[in-house]
Amino acid sequence: MSAVPGLKEDCEELLDAFQQADTVRFERFAELWRERRFHTIFYGRIRALERNKITKKTLDVAQQYFFPPYSFQIRVGALYLLYGLYNAQLCQPKQKIRIALKHWPEIQKFQLDLLDAQHYDAVYIFRRLRLARAFHFTAMPKLLTYRTKKKIEKSYFKEEFKDPSNRVNSLITNDVLEELMNIHDHYQKMKCVISADKSQPDKALSLIKDDFVVNLKDITLEHQEWQQNRMKLLRNAKVAPETEDKKKEETLLKSEGSERANALARIKYKSYSAVVEVSRSRRHRQVQLESSESGPSCGKSPGRSKKASRTPQPARRGGMQVAEETVTRHIGMPIIVEEDSDE
Amino acid sequence: SIDMLMSSEKEEDPDVIPEDSSLLTLRIRKKALERREETIIVDRACRQETLTYEMESHATGKRPDDPTDLIEEGELLLTLNIFYPVIFQKHKDHKPYQTVLVLGSQKLTELRDSISCVSDLQIGGEFSCQPDQAPEHISKDLYKSAFFYFEGIFYNDKRYPECRDLSRTIIEWSESHDRGYENLQSVKMEDYVFNDLSLKIGFPYLYCHQGNCEHIIVITDIRLIHHDDCLDRNLYPLLVKKHWLCTRKCFVCKMYTARWVTNRDSLAPEDPCFFCDVCFRMLHYDAEGNKLGEFLAYPYVDPGIFN
Repeated sequence: MSAVPGLKEDCEELLDAFQQADTVRFERFAELWRERRFHTIFYGRIRALERNKITKKTLDVAQQYFFPPYSFQIRVGALYLLYGLYNAQLCQPKQKIRIALKHWPEIQKFQLDLLDAQHYDAVYIFRRLRLARAFHFTAMPKLLTYRTKKKIEKSYFKEEFKDPSNRVNSLITNDVLEELMNIHDHYQKMKCVISADKSQPDKALSLIKDDFVVNLKDITLEHQEWQQNRMKLLRNAKVAPETEDKKKEETLLKSEGSERANALARIKYKSYSAVVEVSRSRRHRQVQLESSESGPSCGKSPGRSKKASRTPQPARRGGMQVAEETVTRHIGMPIIVEEDSDE
Repeated sequence: SIDMLMSSEKEEDPDVIPEDSSLLTLRIRKKALERREETIIVDRACRQETLTYEMESHATGKRPDDPTDLIEEGELLLTLNIFYPVIFQKHKDHKPYQTVLVLGSQKLTELRDSISCVSDLQIGGEFSCQPDQAPEHISKDLYKSAFFYFEGIFYNDKRYPECRDLSRTIIEWSESHDRGYENLQSVKMEDYVFNDLSLKIGFPYLYCHQGNCEHIIVITDIRLIHHDDCLDRNLYPLLVKKHWLCTRKCFVCKMYTARWVTNRDSLAPEDPCFFCDVCFRMLHYDAEGNKLGEFLAYPYVDPGIFN
């Protein structure tokens, strides 16, 4: 099915404006709708057959925004948009909105969320749609058609509409942290058991930082905060007029970025420079601090700690470079060299 | 009251695109419309478009006279695309198909009866010597076997004693060597309704009849029945889309649809050649009904007969 030209842009523009308005009230949406006179989107001399097809495609485009991973506000906007389009259509009998079976639990959860948050206007709109029998309950979201496509259109998500995808958070969840904590405790206990002094582990055995789990949690929280701030700044930066304000915003963004980069560099420096002094018996096998240009690693694996060398760390890079993926010469594991290190 | 927020205040003509629209969609559409006005002289729906639209929408909202025929809530509606078996070069990119709506509670045999294929109407045999005695039996009556193939199971039509199990050959073939097909089964078509089947949407399945006439069936959509659909059970399976096939006209008069086809005809300019009934007799037989010239004649049923 070829897309209706210009439709996606128009919908996104309206939803964008709605997101800027930073509210979920229907009155606000209706104002934006009336400003753009969106109900005229079905105008133009279209004959019945073509009109059916176009309306179906329009509703299909609009309903994509109704599901995750779009953010809450966009989803409410999509609900209003569907309501508006459904009522503004000129087809008789009206074309319906296709909802797939797999989406229904999400929609019901969404409705409950709306009720809890007391957004009664959104709930009312949804109820109106249900009562008007506006939905087709289907097995699959897209109706299949069989035309050879000249090029496969990849559906893309508009970045700003999405909830910031927090990959770090989804990786380091509470469960994972708890698990790590447990393993860490167990590990410490094992070390105590096998070392001579039963109350604390042998110095030779301490190869990881004791509080690395707590550090990990802090880093994750910091990352999340930073990401939220960045999203906010990005959004504001878009709206700000093209004056020095914008430049200021950009430099603020940049400085945010570089701040972040500096913070990262500092953390790396700390973790990689904390080398435990090995015991005398193993003096010939001192660990040497190898300077690496590796990219950021969140300390997920307990890296081998290195000798505490106060040699200036060339790994400190300002600007945005550390934030991006630098060219890694090798992954951050240090090499143990068979020589005395300098202290 | 919420509705009032949507529509505008004054009366508007939906055919006219407003001048100062901020919507990209409308600007593009307006340009397309202007281009159309320049190039097309008469802008109205052609026959095919009217037909397609009529077929899509003729049954919407229909209610049965007999309340026992009313379809209940919770009934499933399947949309099947049944492809034509003809293989023409011009159909390379998109093969023509007809679209049929079927209820979940309907038996497979009902679908089988509703599929109209031109090969069902063929009359076998060469009738150049006795053109008046072309028998009335069509292939549909002679060869009644058919089967559906869904998900590894062959559903054979066994309603009549003449029906044979066409799928037996395939099952034997697949079992003879280890060809990688897990156990294929063969069951009776009339015992099953669509609700019993497990199906994949978009996956090609098969309908075979007449021994070698094969149609691909693809299920494009499954959904719950809706208030605005046709709720008369007797109208299902419902044909909503059909491919328009041009009929072949008689070579002589170019007016009537061809009913005879001749091969190795000394009187005809090309091989094979198509004739309508009247022209056929006028050319090939004299006033007493004697055969003139050498030829082989077969009754011809045009695929466009279902238009």
